[in-house]
Amino acid sequence: MVRACTAKSHAMERIVAVVPEAGLHARPASKFVQTANRFDSEITVGRADGEDSVSANSMLAVTGLNIEHGEDVRITAEGDDAAAALDELEALLTTPVEDEEEASE
Amino acid sequence: MKLSGVGSTPLSGVGTARWYRPGDLTLPEKPDPSEVESDAEQSRFEAAQATARADIETARQQAAERVGEDEAAVFEAHLQFLDDPQLVDDIERAIGGGTPAEHAVNDRFGEATAQFEGMDGRMAERADDLRDIRDRLLRALLGVETVDLSALPAGTVLLAERLTPSDTAELDPEAVAGIATVTGGRTSHAAIIARSLSIPAVVGVGEGLNRIEEGATVLIDGEAGRVVVDPDEDERAAAGGVDAPVVERAVSTADGKRIEVAANVGGSAELDPAAARGADGIGLFRSEFLFLDRQSPPDESEQYEAITTALEAFPDDRVVVRTLDIGGDKDVPYLDLPTETNPFLGQRGIRLSLGTHSELFETQLRALLRAGASEHGDDLAVMFPMVTRIEEVEAAIEHVEAVAADLEREGVEYAVPELGVMIETPAAALLADALAERLDFLSIGTNDLTQYVMAVDRENDAVADYHDPLQPAVLRAIDRTVSAAEGRDAWVGMCGEMAGDPELTELLVGLGLDELSMSAVTVPAVKQQVQQTTIDDARELADEVLTCETRAEIEAILNG
Repeated sequence: MVRACTAKSHAMERIVAVVPEAGLHARPASKFVQTANRFDSEITVGRADGEDSVSANSMLAVTGLNIEHGEDVRITAEGDDAAAALDELEALLTTPVEDEEEASE
Repeated sequence: MKLSGVGSTPLSGVGTARWYRPGDLTLPEKPDPSEVESDAEQSRFEAAQATARADIETARQQAAERVGEDEAAVFEAHLQFLDDPQLVDDIERAIGGGTPAEHAVNDRFGEATAQFEGMDGRMAERADDLRDIRDRLLRALLGVETVDLSALPAGTVLLAERLTPSDTAELDPEAVAGIATVTGGRTSHAAIIARSLSIPAVVGVGEGLNRIEEGATVLIDGEAGRVVVDPDEDERAAAGGVDAPVVERAVSTADGKRIEVAANVGGSAELDPAAARGADGIGLFRSEFLFLDRQSPPDESEQYEAITTALEAFPDDRVVVRTLDIGGDKDVPYLDLPTETNPFLGQRGIRLSLGTHSELFETQLRALLRAGASEHGDDLAVMFPMVTRIEEVEAAIEHVEAVAADLEREGVEYAVPELGVMIETPAAALLADALAERLDFLSIGTNDLTQYVMAVDRENDAVADYHDPLQPAVLRAIDRTVSAAEGRDAWVGMCGEMAGDPELTELLVGLGLDELSMSAVTVPAVKQQVQQTTIDDARELADEVLTCETRAEIEAILNG
């Protein structure tokens, strides 16, 4: 497939280790999808060393990855606000939320 | 009729049975695609989505008000699943291709549910969430009426095949006296929500629950995991403690023998509730909770803090800390415990503390000896789990002495607390005389003692009836332990589930126990029983029970 490739539509990507104890499940997953949906860019997420990346706007797909605490994920974003999206998503995955885990047993 | 299941909220309540059978969601036969008007189906789907969205919003608000923001978060995830582009796109595509809306929803959610069901625990819970959302959509599409769980009449005991998290969060704890379900486990989301709402609950009762008729009077005993139809006075009184008033002060039998009624505690958050229920101190402080759900072991100062916090919560009462009891069914990933064919017969408790994990043991002993010199340190006691040999006790005491010598050298304040052992193996019961010679106290752990005396796996349902502390062999092991300690200046307590059963209080007092330690929730009921007991009658009862050779004879005497 031939596709026009302009500088603007270049996908940006970032590798991030998942810090929350719950991994990419429960509330961290929920927040991740909510945040991804706020941006216009096409965003995907998957294991850094895998080929399982999925659309970040699907809760079903994101939780289906079954990514645990400590795993490295690759986030890609393509679009005008790609850099801002990556910044926010990275911040989200690198913030621990331990007290929540405790509260939900 | 008495049924048993898994007690998931350790409270009890009596009320009127009401069955919750969510409407029949059987789909009509799938018509030929040519007969389906895709546009109309698309509108129906959108309307159902809107209804479901509004319902979930309501559930979210109710949960936030009644339970808390953390529990409400599950409904945010529900909203995301409801609008998930992968699900919605596929459903709309199917509708466009001539599938009626309800079939499109059912098929696509079915696939997604199956995908999650195949995965491990946390993922399997997502399957529950997806079923919950699917049912909301189907109810809207099929026009099935929903029961308003938030408006049940006061004194309802709700019975159901299963409850979803949203069902449970809708319940009004003021109106619902208890719940019981056919399926489900202690750690399911619905069970956790019921616990945080303080609704008495027994889950996983099995098909037998269906025999209970609408309108029957039902007792839910979430402590014992029992569901009793038409309970009599005694059964009501014996159930999980809610009816018994809290007795703050220490209690004695009617003729004056003091019996300590203490609480078992598995986390710092349980200290205040235990004090509120009138516990005379902590009879079992499960120190392993400090080691679970983390990446590395707690250091000395963290352990010291946890122990002194417990001592401060009970300034005038004893706190018995059990040293690290891991192995068996309690794994701690970062400790690299060996994989064993028979973990309950392998390296657990004191065996690890004296063997491969002695450095953890010494750190714990340092924290304990330092806590012994803290403000309320006089009341500290320490016991070792899973003892089977006198050499182990001698080695453990040597460790204590070595740690004391280190602290002395370092100029750190310390005091050696009372030392004791758990009696939870036949070996320890048979050696009770030699143990009592060397130690300040013995504490009988009936759950494990029953497991090892009866040679029965606690976790195996197929042999569950063998796991019964009222078996003559178990009672004789208890009697032997208490008798062996007599005249040897050691007190004897009990910290298994048996100690918290008010129906057995008289028997246990008669057997000669000085201290009973249990889940805090049963403390008030047991204190009440102690005050109604007289030593003479209790001894007579115990003597009679000890002559029995079968479980049936014992039951006849206790019920007689």
